[in-house]
Amino acid sequence: MFELLWQGLVGLMALKYLAPLALGTLIGVVGGALPGVTITMTIIIVLPFTFGLDPLQGLAAMTGVYVGGSAGGLVTATLLGIPGTPSSVATTFDGFPMARKGEPGRAMWLGVWASFCGGMLGGLFLIFATGPLATFALEFGPWEFFSLFILALSMVAGLVGDSLLKGLLSGALGLVVTVLGNDPILGAPRLTLGIEFLEGGIPFLPVLIGVFAFAQIMGDVERMGRARRAAQAVDRTLSLAVSHAKVLMEILRRPFLLLWTSFIGVVIGVLPAIGGSAANMMAYDQAKKLSRHPERFGTGTPEGIVASESANNANVGGSLVTIMAFGIPGDAVTAVMLGALTIHGIQSGPLFISQHPKIAYGIFAAYLLAHPIMVLVIALGARWMLRIVTVPKAALFPVVLVLCTVGAYALGNAMSTVYVLLIFGLGGYGMVKAGIPLAPFILGVILGDQIETNLVRAVMTDADPWLFVTRPISGMLLAASVASVALALWQHRRVRRRAPADAGEGADF
Amino acid sequence: MRKLAAALVVSLLPAVSFAAYPDRPIKLIVPWSAGGDTDVIYRVFAPLMQKELGGTIVVTNVGGASGTKGAKEAKDSPADGYTIFAIHDSIHSTYHTGVADVSYADFEPLCLVSSTPSIVTASPKTPWADMKALLADAKARPEQITVGATLGSTSHFFPAMVARAAGVKFKYVSYEGTAARMNALLGGHIDLAESNLTQKGKADAGQLKFLAVASNQRNPEIPSVPTLKELGIDVEYAVNRGLVAPKGTPPAVLAKLRAACGVAAKDPSIAEAFKKQGTLVRYLDEIAYGRFFKTNDDETVEVARELGMLKR
Repeated sequence: MFELLWQGLVGLMALKYLAPLALGTLIGVVGGALPGVTITMTIIIVLPFTFGLDPLQGLAAMTGVYVGGSAGGLVTATLLGIPGTPSSVATTFDGFPMARKGEPGRAMWLGVWASFCGGMLGGLFLIFATGPLATFALEFGPWEFFSLFILALSMVAGLVGDSLLKGLLSGALGLVVTVLGNDPILGAPRLTLGIEFLEGGIPFLPVLIGVFAFAQIMGDVERMGRARRAAQAVDRTLSLAVSHAKVLMEILRRPFLLLWTSFIGVVIGVLPAIGGSAANMMAYDQAKKLSRHPERFGTGTPEGIVASESANNANVGGSLVTIMAFGIPGDAVTAVMLGALTIHGIQSGPLFISQHPKIAYGIFAAYLLAHPIMVLVIALGARWMLRIVTVPKAALFPVVLVLCTVGAYALGNAMSTVYVLLIFGLGGYGMVKAGIPLAPFILGVILGDQIETNLVRAVMTDADPWLFVTRPISGMLLAASVASVALALWQHRRVRRRAPADAGEGADF
Repeated sequence: MRKLAAALVVSLLPAVSFAAYPDRPIKLIVPWSAGGDTDVIYRVFAPLMQKELGGTIVVTNVGGASGTKGAKEAKDSPADGYTIFAIHDSIHSTYHTGVADVSYADFEPLCLVSSTPSIVTASPKTPWADMKALLADAKARPEQITVGATLGSTSHFFPAMVARAAGVKFKYVSYEGTAARMNALLGGHIDLAESNLTQKGKADAGQLKFLAVASNQRNPEIPSVPTLKELGIDVEYAVNRGLVAPKGTPPAVLAKLRAACGVAAKDPSIAEAFKKQGTLVRYLDEIAYGRFFKTNDDETVEVARELGMLKR
């Protein structure tokens, strides 16, 4: 096996493969960094160009996009506080506060190196544990998925903000958004008020862009007038240059955190249909719960960045496990990769690795190589990324807002998505003002359809509701959600007792 | 400056009506997610068509609600030839079972492209060695054997027709899309589902069981799998895919699209590419395709009525 992997690595070093891999990674980083452009969209853009290439060249390019995109989101997340992709939502929680405190380089490079480490750990899982992990994933029926999503929501509800109640409320609001429109099973219209546009449901991306970009920028605009001092703090001497050894040490000093959050990323990746958007938030929650200083989360603590970014790149490794072991796409990105395989006439499935070892190990190798390339791409591009921070906010914000609006328009080539952006932008701003955290809301929107679909599937398969509790994995997950809420309650109380008069600035995204 | 703006407006306005079609990208709506069977078919078919048309075709995935979300979007798009739709047999069943308001009559046929014979596929965790064992079990346990399906679509109708012909009853669970169904089959969360030759790799590895194929003759790729007809179940079924444009698209534009579709479908490389995906090329021009739609629709009404699923 190592021989095959080694051959794969050596083979990939040829310019023929290295060029598409590097180019794919670059495109992935750029696409990931642009808010409103997801990894799925980027990979679909790249797909037609791979038809003319040989299969491994095409897959190398797409693996590059996947890895690059999973890391690229952190650039805008840390420097602007706007997640470039749904996979980097939790990176904004601590990345942006740290950047605002005058350490944008540290914030960004913590993210980059955490992505690197998480990705490499994910690679280890991919190489050594493909078999057992994939078998485990198959045990997940609708009951288990339902309970897992409930766990994800309850974890994240307790995660940010000063009140568990507000967190739960926020998650529930997110779920309500997904109820709008035709139901996912039979297409019966719900709460559409006869408005035709609502029948299709609320598209997710304008909601994400609206809630984060708009609400984030409005908050900053308010602060702009108020605090002259802060503006001066971001002076011209600022640079993204950091001591890489120091940043790496900061990550490696917390081996357990890194291992655990990467593991969460891998597991979420292995389970079909969840993906990086949930992985980063679940990992962040775990980091906070396990930390000795949970109160520092949200203020720019390195652990938060490390957790989120290591998890979303490890998640890529996990998704590749499912595709390698069963030929089943774990998310939209791997679905496109599989589609590319069939176009080249390669049957995916459990025999894939033994029938096409060259391609299988080529993908492993591409995954491993894409990570150092990703670091290189960001290092070379840092000069331009720095501009994001040094450009006067008064010039930057209108540009970002225009880009977001154009992005929303381009999603459906219709004004309706722009209105969605506007409504959710205002709504998100209102939620921030009311001290309601945004992350549970977004996760609710992400998971709502999945929760409903799996609940319906479970009941259609067997009408017995006790199965949710009596099926062992499902029961354990539900117990964990209860424990998670209880732990959050206890933690909130402890924090409140310790710092009774610490009224935060309300920057709890 | 104002002159420039005026010139721009003037130059843009008539362009819409006079420029040679196509002068901008054509959107091909695939009503299923990326990586699915339909998507993969058109990702190889579209480049050949665009070579013939001399314009770009952009495959756009609009999945959801048993493929009707994309159908609605296609129906509501301007009939200017810049939106075409990858239609699929499910359009008949989703209309008549009341899932959606879109029917084949909302579109102008361009051409039929492909036909994919369905295969009765079982989970490896089921005890049945062959179709006979399945039917015996189904008779003993009515409405207990679970079938994963996109409700109201072809994957629901096909097993329902088999059940009707064999005199048994199944229980249906919503799993939209082939990938989701195969996943659930592998894990044993459902017992049966419709699939096709794209899943041969998994069947060879013992991760799925092909019980019977719904074509007229055995398929040379899977010679050991019997046809339903051999087993005395009179069901022949395939998923047919073609291209249509919204009603009211100008005739000149339709003619161009139809010609391009015909050339692409007859390209020898297409047969080769489709074969790798377990699909046969089945070309019908717009007239034959129009008739095909009508027959197919009438049959669907009949089956839906007999299954008690007919809403209109």
